[in-house]
Amino acid sequence: MTTEERTIQRDRMRFIKNSMSANLAYLGILFNVFYFVSLYKSDVDTYYYNYLIGISIVYNLVFMLAVFLASEGVKNYKRNYSYVLAVIGLAQIVRIFIIPTQAHGATTIVNGASVVVMQDAQFTRILIYLAVSAGCLIGSAVVNFIRCGELEAHLKSLGTQGA
Amino acid sequence: MATLNLQHIDKIYDNNVQAVFDFNLDVKDGELIVLVGPSGCGKSTTLRMVAGLEDISAGKLLLDGKDITATPAKDRDMAMVFQSYALYGHMTIYENMAFSLTLRKENPNVIHKKVLAAAEILGLTSQLNKKPAQLSGGQRQRVAMGRSIVRNPKVFLFDEPLSNLDAKLRGATRREILLLHKRLQATMLYVTHDQTEALTLADRIVCMSMGHVQQVGTPLELYDSPANVFVASFIGLPPMNFYDVRVDGGKLVGEGFQVSLTEEEKHTLRAYNNKEITLGVRPENIVEGTDVPVTVSSNENLGMNTLVHGHIGGAKGVRISAKLKGWRDYKVGDAASFTFDRKHFFDKETTNAIKGGG
Repeated sequence: MTTEERTIQRDRMRFIKNSMSANLAYLGILFNVFYFVSLYKSDVDTYYYNYLIGISIVYNLVFMLAVFLASEGVKNYKRNYSYVLAVIGLAQIVRIFIIPTQAHGATTIVNGASVVVMQDAQFTRILIYLAVSAGCLIGSAVVNFIRCGELEAHLKSLGTQGA
Repeated sequence: MATLNLQHIDKIYDNNVQAVFDFNLDVKDGELIVLVGPSGCGKSTTLRMVAGLEDISAGKLLLDGKDITATPAKDRDMAMVFQSYALYGHMTIYENMAFSLTLRKENPNVIHKKVLAAAEILGLTSQLNKKPAQLSGGQRQRVAMGRSIVRNPKVFLFDEPLSNLDAKLRGATRREILLLHKRLQATMLYVTHDQTEALTLADRIVCMSMGHVQQVGTPLELYDSPANVFVASFIGLPPMNFYDVRVDGGKLVGEGFQVSLTEEEKHTLRAYNNKEITLGVRPENIVEGTDVPVTVSSNENLGMNTLVHGHIGGAKGVRISAKLKGWRDYKVGDAASFTFDRKHFFDKETTNAIKGGG
């Protein structure tokens, strides 16, 4: 890419929304949905009926709301939303070690028989969903952070030229 | 840019109503042609046929010598600006202007350059991040024009683009279109029912009535040498006065007045001696004199001019409107006397201008 093309690309950011970051954030939400749908459809009697699953449900709602709001922020090159998305992305990694890890090693009694709560296949799937969700959110944060920097520098140079 | 040739074009709708009859026009490269006429005269239909939005029933349409009569609208390389702007409300001005190029999958950097260049021309640079709802009517119309400019089409088509604007904005936007034409040197077809727009914008005017072309010419030609009574009555504000008169040797005798003819006028009317003709006189060609006695019915001071309406002879005589220079203070019922400074002659049967008149 030539210097001129790079300059034009930066200048375009003045008028074009940061849709890449926003789309990554939406993907983060989508994979989180895959995660909790996968988890909640498990047929292991009352194993999941405890305070943790309540917190998980509330967290998922807050997660979706927060990421959606952040997606609007990054769409408009707001740097602070990069931090929000990065923290939420890291939290997705942490979540792997809460319900999924506990459930993966656990057994429960269903109709008098011992049943594995989370099979390897389901655990792998859930792991992938959360990891991809985390990747998307962190990616969104990084892309926005870089673009905000570029746009800021470009606007500064325009200001200098104008002066 | 491009040349455009309309050859013997007809438009006949499915219900057998014919909207356009044998339309012929050669548009030169970089020319601004204005189609003008009253509502229902076929001017917009003609434009839509050129754009490809209406089928051409008969005749040929050539763009740069190539027959595009049956070419779909999207492949004609023409851009149309509508009266209603047709902007996407959810997109920013930048996105609106870039939209057609984005659909064509042009390089984003090229699109960016074109949009910025068009915005610069139209003075929209500071508005690019706004939505159409945040702009005034004039600015929205400029965006609509900008959307056409970025496509760099061969021909620009304007369908009454200023009709939604108030009088002041209309004047300003009209000047912008004129500047735009000078700057782009583009071939443009412009439809309007407003004769002021036609006279101020056009390189040539096509005056239409009932689907027929009445006259094609420069604004001055249409104003100064109208081809028939229709053109004479349509072009010019206030409209021309018309009187039935008899040619009587060296003078014209009308109802309640008679005016003498110049040698040149006598020569023009030599074949009409002792015959009835239609005399046309523009209000601005009437001056205070001694030939035509008038009873004043209203006096409108416009600052530099005064518009005097009245009746020739008595209060029941034929109507006359005169645009006199300067400030006048005629009262209703006052007796005034005028002279026709410049006259137009029309055949009473055909309504065509008597050649060499004036």
